[in-house]
Amino acid sequence: MRALRTATTGMSAQQMNVEVISNNIANMNTVGFKRQRAEFQDLLYQNVERMGAQSSETGTVVPTGIQVGAGVKTGSVYRIMTQGSPTRTENTYDIAIDGKGYFQILLPSGETAYTRAGNFAVNDQGQIVTKDGYLVQPNITIPQDTTDVSISKSGQVQVIQDGVTTPVVVGQLEIATFYNEAGLEAIGDNLFLESGASGPANIATPGEIGYGTLMQHYVEASNVDAVSEITALIVAQRAYEMNSKVITTADEMLSVASQLRS
Amino acid sequence: MDNTTYVALSRQLVLRRELDVTANNIANMNTTGYKFEQLLVSPERGRPTFNDPIKTAAHFAFDKGIGRDFSQGTFLQTGNPYDLAIDGEGAFFVVNGANGNLYTRDGAFTVNNEGVLTTQNGLVVQGDGGGEIRLNPQYGEPTISPDGIVSQRAEDGAVRVGKIGVVRFGNLADLEKRGDNLFAATTNVPPVPATDARVRQGLLEASNVNAIAEITKLVEINRAYASVSKIIEQNQELNRTAVERLGRSA
Repeated sequence: MRALRTATTGMSAQQMNVEVISNNIANMNTVGFKRQRAEFQDLLYQNVERMGAQSSETGTVVPTGIQVGAGVKTGSVYRIMTQGSPTRTENTYDIAIDGKGYFQILLPSGETAYTRAGNFAVNDQGQIVTKDGYLVQPNITIPQDTTDVSISKSGQVQVIQDGVTTPVVVGQLEIATFYNEAGLEAIGDNLFLESGASGPANIATPGEIGYGTLMQHYVEASNVDAVSEITALIVAQRAYEMNSKVITTADEMLSVASQLRS
Repeated sequence: MDNTTYVALSRQLVLRRELDVTANNIANMNTTGYKFEQLLVSPERGRPTFNDPIKTAAHFAFDKGIGRDFSQGTFLQTGNPYDLAIDGEGAFFVVNGANGNLYTRDGAFTVNNEGVLTTQNGLVVQGDGGGEIRLNPQYGEPTISPDGIVSQRAEDGAVRVGKIGVVRFGNLADLEKRGDNLFAATTNVPPVPATDARVRQGLLEASNVNAIAEITKLVEINRAYASVSKIIEQNQELNRTAVERLGRSA
């Protein structure tokens, strides 16, 4: 019975839906997290009676035909790259990007990863690093006798050193954009890698046309909306239940058929 | 076998197919832009069986086609600038398939690594009058107006980068489902631009499957199948009794 298999595809699709939603909810408070959405597509159709086929010798044509679908599949799980709201933290090395762009992070493997989680810190050598200790590119070293650090909207890093009244420029932060941000490959730890789908990174200073600006003392909150996630969860659960009802119905019909006495 | 059993069997076969169609509707309850389907069943006058002395005409249950309800689905807000929904029944986005154009109401689009607007499966979304829509990665996210004009913000104001093609068919029954939320045309009649349809950005069209109606249909199918089975059983019982009694009197 086809209905059994159709309902199975429906149940596994909804299971995938719940998995995506639960990951969104789990990361509701993750800095720079972008929510994901599962996109479903219908499966292949079997043409029982092809539309447009001739139904008689005089040339009459089947107007509608019969196409029976085989269920549903997960077409893709894509990321929605909208801006999260900036949250003030007062931390010197917390930087949020307002607009498009990603910070570049040098991984220990030598690869460059990209992130919007700008909750940085300095290491024992004064270099700006992520929470995992990976270097932020282009690397900037804060001198030891620094009393105050200020990062401008356009990414210029200035320090005020002990006994010096004028600020000194120690570096310039750069951000990267992509043709297709949703195509970046997530590797966990709030990091993304460039992929064939995302296109190459285009690097520029913040504030140029098409690039966002930086906000010191802020981090970007996740763009997960709790209410809509919970609503989506309810919808997914109900859809799962209804697919299981189809299986029950198909099963009951099969049992009726098998109980027919001959 | 006599008429009763054949008529009952024809109904059971149709009910099984109805269950398949309903199962597909329920499986696609959360599929973007999905349009629900229903089996069209009509009585078909059949030839009476050979050994029927009274020659009663038998009406078999026959599924003559599938009906699709193209009514508008509700809108689902996603906030994604690449998610589009069509506000207007029977209108479609045009995408470039392997063998010509395909049509879809699923506007969950994205851009590829060259900045060209595509579906999630990578099929290129066609502009008004054909051709791709290429976004300039230098500029920000696109704004799409209700009439389908795609524009981006540049240094000196908004730049128009294209217009999304939205078309309509004279006869929706000419469309055939291809899976992946795509429809294909079965005739050579070209679609016309749907001028009255509106494109809504940041929204997706939910499927128009009515959960309550589908569950009710499940119950109906289940009960009908059981009662038809009952008829077959009773008919066989009748035959058995007849043979027994006639055998006794002979």
